[in-house]
Amino acid sequence: MNIILTLVRKDFANFFRDKAAVSLTFLVPVALIYIFGQVFGLARKDSGPTGIRLAVVNQSDNPAAQKLVDALKAEKSFRVLTHHVNPDKSERLLTEEDLRPMIRDRAFRFALIIPKDVIAAKGFGLHLKILSDPRNEIETQTVNGLLQKAIFSNVPQLLGQSLQTGAQKYLGQPRFEQFNGDLAIAVTKTFGGDVEETKQALAGGDFGLSTIGGASEPGQKASSADFFSKVVKIESEQVVGKDVKSPEATRVVGGWAMMFLMFALSHSAAAFFDEKKAGLFQRLLSAPVTRAHLLWSRFIYGVILGLVQLTALFFAGRLMYGIDVLGNFGNLVVICTAAAAACTAFGMLLAAISPTAAAANGLATFLVLTMSATGGAWFPVSFMPEFMQTIARFTLVYWSMEGFSQVLWAGQSFLQILPTVGVLLGITAGVMALAVWRFNRGAIFD
Amino acid sequence: MLKLDHITKRYGPLTALDDVSLEIAPGEFFGLLGPNGAGKSTLMSLVAGLRAPEAGRITLDGKPVTAADPSTRASLGLVPQSIALYEDLSAEQNLRIFGELYGLRGADLRARIDEALEAVQLADRRRDQVKTFSGGMQRRLNLVAALLHRPKLLLCDEPTVGVDPQSRNAIFDFLEARARDGLTVIYSTHYMEEATRLCSRIGIIDHGKIHALGTLDELLARLPFNDQIGFPATPATAQLAASLRAHGELTTDAATHRFYPSPVFKTSAFYALAEEQHLSARLFVTERPTLEAVFLHLTGRTLRE
Repeated sequence: MNIILTLVRKDFANFFRDKAAVSLTFLVPVALIYIFGQVFGLARKDSGPTGIRLAVVNQSDNPAAQKLVDALKAEKSFRVLTHHVNPDKSERLLTEEDLRPMIRDRAFRFALIIPKDVIAAKGFGLHLKILSDPRNEIETQTVNGLLQKAIFSNVPQLLGQSLQTGAQKYLGQPRFEQFNGDLAIAVTKTFGGDVEETKQALAGGDFGLSTIGGASEPGQKASSADFFSKVVKIESEQVVGKDVKSPEATRVVGGWAMMFLMFALSHSAAAFFDEKKAGLFQRLLSAPVTRAHLLWSRFIYGVILGLVQLTALFFAGRLMYGIDVLGNFGNLVVICTAAAAACTAFGMLLAAISPTAAAANGLATFLVLTMSATGGAWFPVSFMPEFMQTIARFTLVYWSMEGFSQVLWAGQSFLQILPTVGVLLGITAGVMALAVWRFNRGAIFD
Repeated sequence: MLKLDHITKRYGPLTALDDVSLEIAPGEFFGLLGPNGAGKSTLMSLVAGLRAPEAGRITLDGKPVTAADPSTRASLGLVPQSIALYEDLSAEQNLRIFGELYGLRGADLRARIDEALEAVQLADRRRDQVKTFSGGMQRRLNLVAALLHRPKLLLCDEPTVGVDPQSRNAIFDFLEARARDGLTVIYSTHYMEEATRLCSRIGIIDHGKIHALGTLDELLARLPFNDQIGFPATPATAQLAASLRAHGELTTDAATHRFYPSPVFKTSAFYALAEEQHLSARLFVTERPTLEAVFLHLTGRTLRE
């Protein structure tokens, strides 16, 4: 038993000597739990997506349509945009003509049009139109669900008005008013209340249909939803990505590729420490080789490796899931190069700030998981609290995902992807400058 | 050829080299002898341009050697203390990489690789991964990798650490042959046998200072005695050993005492003391002094401390 205890004590002594192992065991998981908690909004009392940009064009002058817009504005999941800001900062109401170009320019991904004929002129029912760029399936399904909820909550009054309009046409004004008056008397006799107020409510379309939506039994709720889905005609138009051959795979491949790229390049950066340990830097630097040669050769190696890896992963996606890689191949290579450069710079910084290979690997695991989660590689950024969405924009994963989506999903041109490429190269320059500064002050080449 | 002029190098509070001055002539095989931590590797790294001194100046053929300017480094080759090779690559791939860094290309590079691998008996293993080599083979490859570009000055930083006697001798033979061809070598070691065998001139270094500089004979001449006396370290000789401490330096290594007498203590007095303690004269061996004795005399400690 004493032998076992001695060996156990030896293992603990070794473990606590290894700071990287200790931090990977305790600090990294705790930090990741905290960050993922923030990402998933666990600290919030409410949950679900926030701040999804939704453009709304209300072409109807029906007060109930405005109530629908107000209801959408009150929904925390949406940031409703109703106005277009001109270059001179003046504002005007958005029109349907604005929506499609703005969706293509990534100003927003969802738009609701409440047309003039929101209440059907003939027959009974409502008509609405949704435009979308469904680049992320989870987000799109969620937005559709939220929109339906908001619309169906406001449908009863609109349906009532639809019934009133139909009745008015069918009966003519005098008989229609008589019908409402008789109905109001019958209602107040049975349920109590003021006859005149009931008559006005009926004229406004309130037939108590809203109670259908408030049914407490699950079966009843489903029935009401079925009922509304039959009477509410929602016309959907996909503005971007209509011609994408394998939409599901195209949506997710970028996130996976980025995560594996970051792991590969962090590993290659940790190889710096192997070279140091073997004394290879001594040999190399005693030749006509400078530190700058070593750093830039490593950077170029990383970019080429990253580019080849990304291209191979996308081609694997083409073979396995039919992703259209060749349709916009030139621009895909441009985005992959920029993403690989940013990832390589990130790996170099890891090597520059870490004291040992083990520390570099631990830090890499922590940062790769964190950036993948916050940058949108695993799930839509819009599902995170708004402050996390802001943080996401500072990650290379976010901009790489944007770039892949622009190229593979939206089929954008070189000029259109240039701003995203610029951001990625800007991240590369900033991170590399920091890495070089740290390398020159660190001991890795000593 | 190489000149170190009042070189000082510090690592924080530690002074690794303290006002060191040294000149190495072309074709010289210079040994730097000292224990671990004496400052040998620091001196090598400064000459190789890997680090910059806090004070002083190093010149090679009159041109300053600096960390920032790689041009002078093309004239020298460094054999690091560790096996500085890419172990997943083959011997040939390693030599090709290091040769290309010095601007060698094509047929010339191929010829030099062939020649180098032949010289260290690794021609038949040229395509094998370095990690499959024995320690001695790796050491030999580590050595020739620094010579591919035919430098004027070779810096060998303890190149035989952990090497079996056969490989060590092969390395010595190889270096001696290169030295005969006119190569200038600086060879750092803490093995006095290596310095004795290889070096035409030796510098004894400890605590960042060069305590003595000269040929083997010149260094031995600094000793205040002509002979040192060795005898077994046994209980029977313990009393003698204790009484000798008053008359000189005494070291014990591998069950053997070595006595280095003070100038006033004659050999005859030693034997008289042994006789008093009824110890046979056959226990004692009179030896020619070694560099170990010189080091002890100069620094007050042994090379193994």
